[in-house]
Amino acid sequence: MNTVRTLSVHKRPWSVVRTDHIATLVAIAYLAAALGVWLGLWADNWAEITGTMWADPSAAHWLGTNRLGQDILVRAVASTATAFEVGLAVALSSSIIGGLLGAVAGHFNGSPVDELILWLKGTIDAIPFYLLVVAIAFALQGHAMAMHLAMILAFWTTTARVVRAETIRIGQSGFIEAARAGGSTASRIIFRHLLPNLVHVLLVQATLVFVAAIKAEVVLSFLGIGVQDSISWGLMLAEAGQDIMAGQYMNFLVASLCLFGLVMAASLLADRLQDRLDPRTRHQRSVDIG
Amino acid sequence: MTPRIELLRFITRKLAAALPLIFGVTLISFTLTVHFGPDPAYAMLGKNPTAADVAALQRELGQDQPFWQRYASYLHRLATLDLGHTESSGEKVRDLLGRTLPVSIRLLAPGFVLGTGLALLLAMFAAWHRGGRLDRLITGISVIGMSLSFVIIIIALQAVFGVWLGWFPVRGWEVHGPASYLAHVTIPTLAFVLASIGYNTRFFRAMLVNAMSTDHVRTARAYGASPTHIMRYHVLRGCLLPITTRIVYSVPALAISGSLLLESHFSIPGIGRVTYQAILSGDQPVLMAVVGLSAVAFALTVTVADLLCRLADPRIRLA
Amino acid sequence: MSFARAACAAIAAMLILAACDQPGSDGRDRVVYRHAIDGMPASLDPAHAANVYSSTLVVNLYDTLFRYRYLSRPYELAPNLASGMPEVSEDGLTWTIRLRENVRFADDPAFPDNRGREVTASDVVYSLGRHFDPATRSQGAWLWRGKITGLEEWIDGGADPDRRIPGLHAADDMTVVIELTEPYPQLAHTLAMALSAIVPREAVEHYGREFGVRPVGSGPFLLKQFDETRAVLKRNLDFDRGALDLAAEGHDPQRHAELGLGSLDGEAYPFIDRLEIHFIAEPTTRWNSFVAGEVDNVMVPPEQADRVLDSHDPLRFSPEIEQRYHTLAEPEAGFVLYGFNMANEDIGHHPDEQIDSANRALRCAMRQAFDWQERNDTFYQGLGQVFPGVIPPFLDAFDPALDAGSTARDPQQARSLLQAHEWTPETLPQLTYGLEASVHQRQMFEQFRARMSAVGIPQDRLRSRSFASFGDFSRAIANRELDLFLMGWTMAWPDAQYALQLFYGPNAAPGANSFNYDNPEFDRLFERAAALEEGEERTALYRQLNEMVIDDCVHIGSLSRTRLHLWHRHVRMLPDREMLGGYFLRFVDIGAAP
Repeated sequence: MNTVRTLSVHKRPWSVVRTDHIATLVAIAYLAAALGVWLGLWADNWAEITGTMWADPSAAHWLGTNRLGQDILVRAVASTATAFEVGLAVALSSSIIGGLLGAVAGHFNGSPVDELILWLKGTIDAIPFYLLVVAIAFALQGHAMAMHLAMILAFWTTTARVVRAETIRIGQSGFIEAARAGGSTASRIIFRHLLPNLVHVLLVQATLVFVAAIKAEVVLSFLGIGVQDSISWGLMLAEAGQDIMAGQYMNFLVASLCLFGLVMAASLLADRLQDRLDPRTRHQRSVDIG
Repeated sequence: MTPRIELLRFITRKLAAALPLIFGVTLISFTLTVHFGPDPAYAMLGKNPTAADVAALQRELGQDQPFWQRYASYLHRLATLDLGHTESSGEKVRDLLGRTLPVSIRLLAPGFVLGTGLALLLAMFAAWHRGGRLDRLITGISVIGMSLSFVIIIIALQAVFGVWLGWFPVRGWEVHGPASYLAHVTIPTLAFVLASIGYNTRFFRAMLVNAMSTDHVRTARAYGASPTHIMRYHVLRGCLLPITTRIVYSVPALAISGSLLLESHFSIPGIGRVTYQAILSGDQPVLMAVVGLSAVAFALTVTVADLLCRLADPRIRLA
Repeated sequence: MSFARAACAAIAAMLILAACDQPGSDGRDRVVYRHAIDGMPASLDPAHAANVYSSTLVVNLYDTLFRYRYLSRPYELAPNLASGMPEVSEDGLTWTIRLRENVRFADDPAFPDNRGREVTASDVVYSLGRHFDPATRSQGAWLWRGKITGLEEWIDGGADPDRRIPGLHAADDMTVVIELTEPYPQLAHTLAMALSAIVPREAVEHYGREFGVRPVGSGPFLLKQFDETRAVLKRNLDFDRGALDLAAEGHDPQRHAELGLGSLDGEAYPFIDRLEIHFIAEPTTRWNSFVAGEVDNVMVPPEQADRVLDSHDPLRFSPEIEQRYHTLAEPEAGFVLYGFNMANEDIGHHPDEQIDSANRALRCAMRQAFDWQERNDTFYQGLGQVFPGVIPPFLDAFDPALDAGSTARDPQQARSLLQAHEWTPETLPQLTYGLEASVHQRQMFEQFRARMSAVGIPQDRLRSRSFASFGDFSRAIANRELDLFLMGWTMAWPDAQYALQLFYGPNAAPGANSFNYDNPEFDRLFERAAALEEGEERTALYRQLNEMVIDDCVHIGSLSRTRLHLWHRHVRMLPDREMLGGYFLRFVDIGAAP
């Protein structure tokens, strides 16, 4: 299968779905749960106090209740929606921003535009992640999307860096030269030729950012600056921290397992995407560097 | 022009290029923490202040000055290394940093070195036996490691080793010598290694796999060279660049945010927790110093990384 | 092969190095007590000692004029740096306080020749006066402002320590005279607070801003080390207050029998050479540290209560715990309560009488809808004490006979109140509930909201606003941006006036009256009580004021948490985290370790 890499890698992602069954099924299950919450089919009563304090699992509460008497299972399911909201919002936005800026920077490698974007990237990278997120959360003062915006601002740089490197590499392979010689404008080149070939990089990065965002939300909620008006696994874990001292493990276990499941599934998918989409690991001739 | 002078010029150019970076970082952080940040005055007032008391304190803290004036005086103080006093205890910020930064470094260094080294080793095994059982096992463990929350790891280790087994202190940092250092740093190091090994292993593995699929490695394998030989002389050389770049880049961010959770739970007087408290209380002198420090550290990092690039592969053109 | 050898060499090197470990402490420290507190002091400057953590350290490094007796309950004032109780004139306006002789400040580079000097009356004058210098950023100025003759003019003139304050001066080296503008019986209590501790001018001027980490005092201990995780103090060999007189300190042979303090009678204190105070805010870590033997005492986290108690009511520790440790259960010197912002016309005071009473009905309805017992059970393991009004149970003025109906959940009455004044989901105002961004606070909010919706106040009428820091939360309250909030109030001295001031008109936000309650009748009675000495008339006034607050439904409250303390058997002490803050530490002794 020594085909030369073509301009079209659009077909690849779908073949991944068929190969890694379990991870995909799991991811789909989570997505279904989240969709149900968004459509209002279930779990919109996550804040209601329907039981007694720390009740054992029963018919009424399949996984028991937390300190206030709220149903743990309902809260865990509702948290799935939050996880996807955070993960997707951050992954999509940072991919778009990072992809565009990275492609522009890479395409105009060495020019003032590139320097400017590099400067912006470096500036944001230099500020420690949690410092940045907390500071932005403060600046937006309790705004519902404060945490999301903060994470987007922090994560786009990684995507941009990878995209920029890949753009430079593609640029060195010659067909960009050809396109430019053919008279295409810069924006045409970027949108028509570069971006489609960056899709595999962006896809992998997006999945990684998705995972990172979900995990970061846990720590932020633990510190008290995470989601405000809804429920998330991070908040459940923060609650659970106190519960453990009192010998109540259910909240902790459920939140941990849910988090673990989604992160693992997404990470495995990212892995497989990377293995399958990166031409260099598909027994291809590697493009010469330098 | 001798290579040495060329190198010096390169370094100077790079450091000069770092100045706009420092400017950018300080401006952004200053805006976030001072302009939008928490008002330190209210946390410092007594039980029954009058409006006049509040105004007097705000004047004392310099909050009535316009933004650019405050930023200018901040830059001036940073340039002359006059870092001021922390708002909470009045301690000189220089002393505070001098006290807490070494602690954080001593806390994170073993974990960082061990974590990176171990990850590299595991990645080499995984990449060599790519597709095989060992590879799947290592990758599986990495993914599990990546999915575990740092907080959970810390709580679990503290409970098991500190309380249940009692082999190590639960908290604290009373370090007088090597033995007490080992006693206090082991569990945090373990937590750190467990939390970071997943990411690192996967990344290194990916790089190694890339390097291994090149022609000259395939040729060496075909000729029957030993794994160690191939690893050392062909593969690592090929991906030395991205690996070292990543290691170098991860250092500054680590020193401050990586240590926050460890310091909170293990009661270690390091810079991570100090910084976090400063953010919450709006302790601006501390924040300024930390941000300035991390900006400088990052600029140095970028320079060092570029330098290593240059040394490793002279073919790469220097911008 | 070479790798294995290298590994062996490394291990051998580590073992050898381990043997070279230096002991950190001075080997001659025979008696060490390791105390754990649940928070961290920010600054050791007495002018900033506004919370119990700072107080704990400050009162051991510095001297205050007065302190509280070690074992007496209810708390009783005793002289500390003063040689006796103050002499107060007939009209209550002139106070004469004589100082002990031969009390010295610690040796420090701030003094010439590095030698500490004797504490004099002018030090007292200076220490109190510096609270009014803006550069001090004092948290205690409010205690004396407006009470001392000529103080305001002196402040306006620049608060110059070299200029004389008419109402606060040194009659001679050992005598301080305070002249008040109005009778102020509580003055003695304010002079027992860490905020009033005596500091040397040389040190303040020498260290400037760094005075907060370079304490120079005359207290029973000296500071050796201070960071974010602990403070290490060493016995001050120059400290001499004579011998411990157990009877005078309130020792009751029956009540205090099992503390084992008998042998300490007649001995000079402090008894320990080295005092370590560990700052452990995380409850899990604090408990684990105590169980692992790293600290000698613990304030049991509420979640662990069931592990150490056999029963909640009556409160009894389990036999194993009683056998292993000393135990103590005491209510906090303070309480938590919900308050309304009376300055908001939607829920508070309103010029139109009809609307005003409708607002009052709404507040009363919300009060009856709330379930303190549930709050107690959920968050305080049922160990808290719920009481009506704001006079906590540990005070004399507390009236056990007062009707507790205001604290009981009564959804029916709540509903009828709402109906009677035509409050419907459409007419109900939207209220902003402010909270600090912590897990517990959020859970408490959800619980509160659930109880409100149970009587027909819809969830969307109660909007939450969270603040990442206490400072921001305070600012929002000071700026009257919040309509409803939960707050805690710690009693700095054992008198009901300290709690009732929460409703005193002139104390409105940004002052202590966060509720902006404005009732001229209340203010009049409050001022009358403030001028009275302790006695029946004053207690009656306090109770009357308390009932006014309950009647007007200004607050929903209150609850005093019960603190459980454990300490090792060989430690001989009666700890007090509340009023005495840190005074008891000078009386701690360590017996033979088991």
